[in-house]
This record gives sequence, structure tokens and C-alpha cells, in this order.
Amino acid sequence: MNKVIKIENGTKQGVLNFLEHLITTDKISGVLTLRKINEKGICDYGFISDAKELKFADPFAPVMPINAAQTLSSLTPTTKPIAAIIKPCELRGFVERVKRVQGSMKNVLLISYTCGGVLPLNTFQGDGSEKIIADYYNAISKGETPGSIRPTCKACEYFVPMMADITIPLLGNSESESECSLIMNSEFAIQISKEFQCEIITSELDSKIIDKVLAVRISEKEKLYNKTKVTKDGLDELVNIFGKCVGCHGCSRVCPICYCVMCDFESHNFDYNIEIFETELEQKGALRLPPDTVFFQIGRLAHMSFSCVGCGQCEDVCPANIPVATIFKKVGEATAGLFDYIPGKDLEEAIPVMIFKEEEFEEIGK
Amino acid sequence: MTKKGVKISLEKGLQNQIRDFFKKGLEKGVFDAVILPVRVPGKDSYAWILMNNAKLIDQANPVPPVMPVQGAKALKALTRKGNGIINVATIMRSCEIRAAIELSKLNQVNLEKITLVSYDCPGAVPMKGYNRIPEEMEKSFQNALAGKDFANDKMKEVCGICVDFANSPADLHFGFAGMENDGILFSNSDKGTAILDTLKMKCSEDDSQWKNSVNIIKEQKSKNRIEVYKSIQPEVEGLDNLQTTFAKCIGCHNCQSVCPICYCRQCYFDSSASKQTADYLQDKAKNRGGIGFPRDKIMFQVGRMAHMSLSCVSCGQCMDACPVDIPVAKIFSYVAAKTQDTFEYHAGTTADGAVPLKVYKQDELNKIHELIKNAEPQGSQHE
Amino acid sequence: MEKEFIPRITSFVCKWCTYTGADLAGTSRLQYPTSIILLKVLCSSRIDPVFLIKSYLKGADGVLIGGCHPGDCHYETGNYHTRRRFKILTEIFSTLGLPKERLRLSWISASEGPKFAQVSNEFTDKIENLGPNNARENMFL
Repeated sequence: MNKVIKIENGTKQGVLNFLEHLITTDKISGVLTLRKINEKGICDYGFISDAKELKFADPFAPVMPINAAQTLSSLTPTTKPIAAIIKPCELRGFVERVKRVQGSMKNVLLISYTCGGVLPLNTFQGDGSEKIIADYYNAISKGETPGSIRPTCKACEYFVPMMADITIPLLGNSESESECSLIMNSEFAIQISKEFQCEIITSELDSKIIDKVLAVRISEKEKLYNKTKVTKDGLDELVNIFGKCVGCHGCSRVCPICYCVMCDFESHNFDYNIEIFETELEQKGALRLPPDTVFFQIGRLAHMSFSCVGCGQCEDVCPANIPVATIFKKVGEATAGLFDYIPGKDLEEAIPVMIFKEEEFEEIGK
Repeated sequence: MTKKGVKISLEKGLQNQIRDFFKKGLEKGVFDAVILPVRVPGKDSYAWILMNNAKLIDQANPVPPVMPVQGAKALKALTRKGNGIINVATIMRSCEIRAAIELSKLNQVNLEKITLVSYDCPGAVPMKGYNRIPEEMEKSFQNALAGKDFANDKMKEVCGICVDFANSPADLHFGFAGMENDGILFSNSDKGTAILDTLKMKCSEDDSQWKNSVNIIKEQKSKNRIEVYKSIQPEVEGLDNLQTTFAKCIGCHNCQSVCPICYCRQCYFDSSASKQTADYLQDKAKNRGGIGFPRDKIMFQVGRMAHMSLSCVSCGQCMDACPVDIPVAKIFSYVAAKTQDTFEYHAGTTADGAVPLKVYKQDELNKIHELIKNAEPQGSQHE
Repeated sequence: MEKEFIPRITSFVCKWCTYTGADLAGTSRLQYPTSIILLKVLCSSRIDPVFLIKSYLKGADGVLIGGCHPGDCHYETGNYHTRRRFKILTEIFSTLGLPKERLRLSWISASEGPKFAQVSNEFTDKIENLGPNNARENMFL
């Protein structure tokens, strides 16, 4: 049971009232939230420092223009508290980045909510999006899975935030139009909201709804995994899938985990002397230019898959419509599973490759 | 000036003629290897394949409907670190050849041992359309190739306004646009002429008919170009309009990474030098009430224009790769036309010479002096 | 006539243990197959999984890593990290349906010349049974 702030207002308005209070009483220097930037309904992430600007905020918009983990990293470390309303996978991405010393959790009030998934960018910004978005809100208030969300969102089991200071029940919350409850998970959250005039009760997330959604998500995940044939057909299927890769590396640039300023695969190491091509040509008779399409993907998997939060951003930006996110999620689950690791679950839990146990995997050195 | 070229019968299909040409070249040892697009095993795209086996050429699609990877990028991958011992030939779209020429001026591609072949390009089908309805797109492209519908509207928007579709300094060129039965293969360089000689291909055909039909298409495209530039102008003039146009930008920089001209290993806008500190960002937010992310959308785009628009070949790859459908290519084409005009430079259309920013004349751009003079405070004593 | 299949095995070995072990195998005149191509690294933890993936995709029939026994690393803990990374890579291979049998990690100390010869022979036999790596032929990689 946790302390819960009750606000007599719709969930969105309630949260905004709460944030307004934090900003005007100078508890925080600003809040990172999704906001509408024009009348067409296009959203971006904004760091808002003036309570008046909060009228543009749309914290629960079903879209992920960038994974906020990247943004939040750039806003930390901070000496003055800031707040951020982000999606559970963005929060997990942020935790993973903090583990990689790409940001700091100190003085960041992390607000998150039970997430119904996001629409692909093109759907959200495209024609007829008003209706799709209205349907979306309708579906999530009933705890259903909207048909239009990203494939990886449909298959996401971690829609309940981990590591959040404040959790907002949104998914399956039929009263979200009329009331707002903020579940306080940490001492920091309780301290910072002390002066906020409101009703305080003790409660927690409705586990019935959570279990129901979880069951649907798990079955969707099985379906999604079965659809990709990578395991069965091995290298041939990988070539089938990644054969059309244009090598833009957009997937790694939007990835919340891939933090390297310069990816190894874009470095000098991967510029080959022509002699190397000539030798390969002699042996194979034919080779691809530019090379290393499948290599890049497996390499990236080896470098970061155990931290993949399955946000689906890579798949959304892929100009060749490759189901990158599905494959990364599937592999990530397997590699993280070796260490019973859930990316972004706990800041104290070290990244699997940073630690070791003396007694483990005895079989592989034989 | 009329040129003589080799008569190419189109009955067997252009693709077959091109395949035959490359097979012959490999067999006679004119070149040791060729780079041709081959359909990938997934059947949903094409990839540049360097091959030295004449049998493999049958699998190749010398003129693919899409341009997944700009050909200049394939050449860059091969020759960025210099020449080898093999002579390589390749056939590419005009914009790919022009990009390769620009890259060679920028020392990123070495064309010494490369034979460039081009063809009258009907345009390329946009990747997004091709991913959605491949058969339909494939068909409309084949129609264009057969000459029935050379300039059709299924192609990328920048292809519709491309006036250089038959104009590139490639060593050899296959002309067929608007021709009834026969195309023409002619040479633009000594290298090309030597190859035709070795292959014993007789240059008997006059190119005037081809030139005429190309000019007709070109005229139509120039008209379209003016229209499109007119329509894009209000979208990008003034900061407010620019901001509206790029509002959707998510800062993925796909446009830059697929651009054949943007060769920097690390773009300035991706580097740590362009990153701002948390304190700076928070201060900025405090002053303005709020700031948006990604930062510097406009700075990135305008900065990129300043860095590369002089070499922009308007291939349209940026627009193809944009996940949020911003008309990047049209905007860049529009801006590039202006910056290139300033120096009477036309990116990639001449093999020699340097990119404008590498050279200068002492007496040029006099208008700028006037502008400076007018902008200076009155009574300025500086002479 | 079909050409006899001679496997090519890229081996990344640590300077302190396995390379010295291989040296011992040589000076002791122990037989081990010529298919093993040795690449010396200072520590097995220097081996980025990317090296192994590249070896596989460029056509190596087998990839072998040799390092000091756990606890014996000259840099104290390097090989423990190698072990985790190797495990991750094999897991990626099995999830993607790639032949993880072509990857092998062995702990061979400087005094274990015979073990080096034995591992080389065993692994070569295994690869001979698996046949050539089909990635070598693939032009779309």
C-alpha cells in the first residue's frame, strides 16, 4: 500500500495542476513532457519551466517522437530538481543510460504511468489521426489493447513503470476523465508534494486490470515472435530480413541504449582498403557494397541487446520497414534472460557485462 | 554538335542490352569486375553487388526501379581508401554518377580505375511506395523503361523535376528516352571511346534524334521544376515557415546518413561539440518558458545546407529515408539550385574542376561587397 | 572430383596462457591440425564479440577463443568477462538460428600444450562434421 494523492479533476488536468504547483512553488525548475507544438497536433518533448506553458503539455499522448531517455540524459545531472513524465520504457531506457553514466537519477522526479502503448509516428502524424487517437483513448480506458499501436507495444509486458517516483494509473482506469490519483512510490515524491493541497489516501494499482492486460500482452508477444522466422531459417532468413537494409544506421541513432557518440560500425575500423574487397571478390566471386549489413545488426545485438527495452523506436524510423524492434526484443529477452536481468528494472542491478560471478556457465570453457 | 554512337536495339529490352554489354566487357577483359544492382533474396529490394563472374550478370537488374542505396555510396565504400589493381565498371543513375563525381572532387571516391556508365533515367520509385505496393510500382517503372511512359508520376517527386536525367559526365551513356525502336550508346570520354573500340562496337548512329526527344522531356521537367520550386518557396521562407515545415522532425539524421554527399565520418551535429550541457539547457528553458527536443532542428537543416548544398545532386534519398515524411529533398533541391547558381556551378555535371568552396577568384561576387557596404554604419571611415 | 574440405578456424588466443600453451604444443612436437589460425591478443577479454561475428560472417568455419583458466587471468578478472560476453553471443546465435556450434571457448593454460592439441583436434573434427560455413558463399551479407 502506498500513499496516493487524489485530485478532483481528470487525470491529465490533475497531473498538470500538480506540476503547476511544483513549478510555481519553485520545487522544480521544469518538467519534461510531451507537448503539442502546432494546431495539427504534432507533438515533441518539451522541457517546460514556465507554468503558463503547461497549457501545451499533453503528457499522455500516444506517441514517441524520440525516446525521452535520450532527452532526459541531456538534462542531467541537475542541481535543482526537475520532473519528467515519460513512458515506462523510456524510464527503463533512462535507468539503463544512468547505469552507463550517461545521466543521473539525482534530483529527477520520475513520473510515469501504466502505458497503453504508442502509435507509430506515421499514424500519429498522418491523416485521420484524430479518430485513431480517440479510439486509442477509448480502448485504453477499458484496459483493451488498441489495434493501431506499435507491434512491440502490443507485445510489451512492462507497461507498469519500474523505478518511478510517481505512478499514474491510466490503463484500464475508467475514471480517468473525472479523477486523478498519483501513487507515491518514493520518499522524494512524498517530500516534494508535501505542500500540495489535496486528499491523501493509501491505495495501489488495481492488480486485476494489470493481470488482464498482461495476459493479453504475453499472448500477443508469442504471436509476434512466431511471426518472425529468424530462429528456424538461420542466416538465410536474416539475409531475407536485412537484405533491404539501406545502411542508414537510423536504428542505432534513435536507440536509447546506443549512447556511443560514434558507433564502432561507422568508425575507421569499418572502412576497408580496396585490397580487402579484391581478396574477397577473388574468393566469393561477388560481394555487397557497402558491406556489413547483417554484421551491423548482429554486432549491435552483441553490444546492447541485453539492455534493450523494446521501445520500438528503431522499427519506426527504419526507411526500409524492417521489423528491427521485434528481432531486438526477442534476442534481448534471451540474452538478458541468461542473467535474469530485466533492463531498467533496478538501478542497483549492474549491467550483465559489467559484472560476473566466479561460478557460472561452467559448461562453455570445456 | 552531333555525336556518333552505337545503335542499340530495344527489342530485346534495355536491361538485356546492358547485361550483354557488361558480359562482353568482362569477357574481353576491358574491366575485371562490375558493380550492378541485384535483387536481394527477400525479393523486396536491390543491393549493389561487386562481381567478377559473367554468369552472375544474368541475375543482375542493371536498371532497378528503386534506389535503396545511392550508388555513389557503393563506390565510396570501395575506393575511399584509394585504388586497387582491378578495373571496375558500373552502371548508375545520373544522380548517382553526379554524386560520385562530386565525391571524387572531395577526395572520397577514386574514379581512376572506375568506368562509369549511365542511362536515361526515368526516375526512381520512392521506397515507401515500393514497400507498400511493390508489384504496381515495379510495373509502372517497367513501362517507363519501355519508353511508353518515360516521365510518369509514380517516381520520386525530385525525379519529376530532374533535368539532368540524361546529363552526366559518365564515360558511356545508354540513350533511349522517347526512342521508338533503337537506342544509342555513346561515349563521353576518352576512356569510353577506348572501351567501345576494344569491344569493336561501331559508332554509326547519329545522336540528334535522341537529343531531340531528351530535350522535349527536359522542357517538360523544367516546367515542373519551376512549379515545384514555387510551391516549396512559401514552406521554407522565413523562420516561422521553416519551423512549421520541420516541426515533425525527430532528429534521427537519417537524411544526413543516406546523403551521398555528406561523407563526414561524424557529422558535426552528432558530435559532442554540438551537445549542450544540462545547465545550459535548463537556463535556456527558464528564459523562454520552455524548450523543445530534439534541439536545433533548423540549425541542423540549415547547417547541412551550408555544408553540402553546393554539391547536392537532388537524388531524393533524404526524403526517402525520412520517417516523418518531411519534403527534405524538395527543399534541398530548391536551395541547392540557388547556391549552385551563385557560382554558376552545376553539381556533378562536369568531371573536371573543383567544388566552388575549394577555389576562388579575386574578382567575383561583387554583389556581396555592395551588401556589405550598405550594411555598414554610415560615416564609417574604413576604406 | 569434389575438393576435400579443410576447415578454417580463426582462433583468438590470449598471450599469457593459450598462446604459450600452443607454443608448448609445438615445441613438444604434438600434432595439431593446420586449420587453426592463431591470432594473439593480450587478454581474452580484448575480444569484442564483433570479431567473432565478423569471422563467422566472412566465412571462417569455426571460431575458437582461448584464455586462461577462470581465476588465473593475468589481469585478474578479464576472462570472467570474456565468458559472459561469449555466453551472450552464443545466445544471440541460437536465438537467430545461427550455428553456435561453430563458436568455441576453451581455457588452456601455458602448461597445457597437450590440451591445446586436443582441443584443436576435437574442434576441427567437429567442424569437419558440420561442413563448410555457408556464409562464405553469401554475397548479400
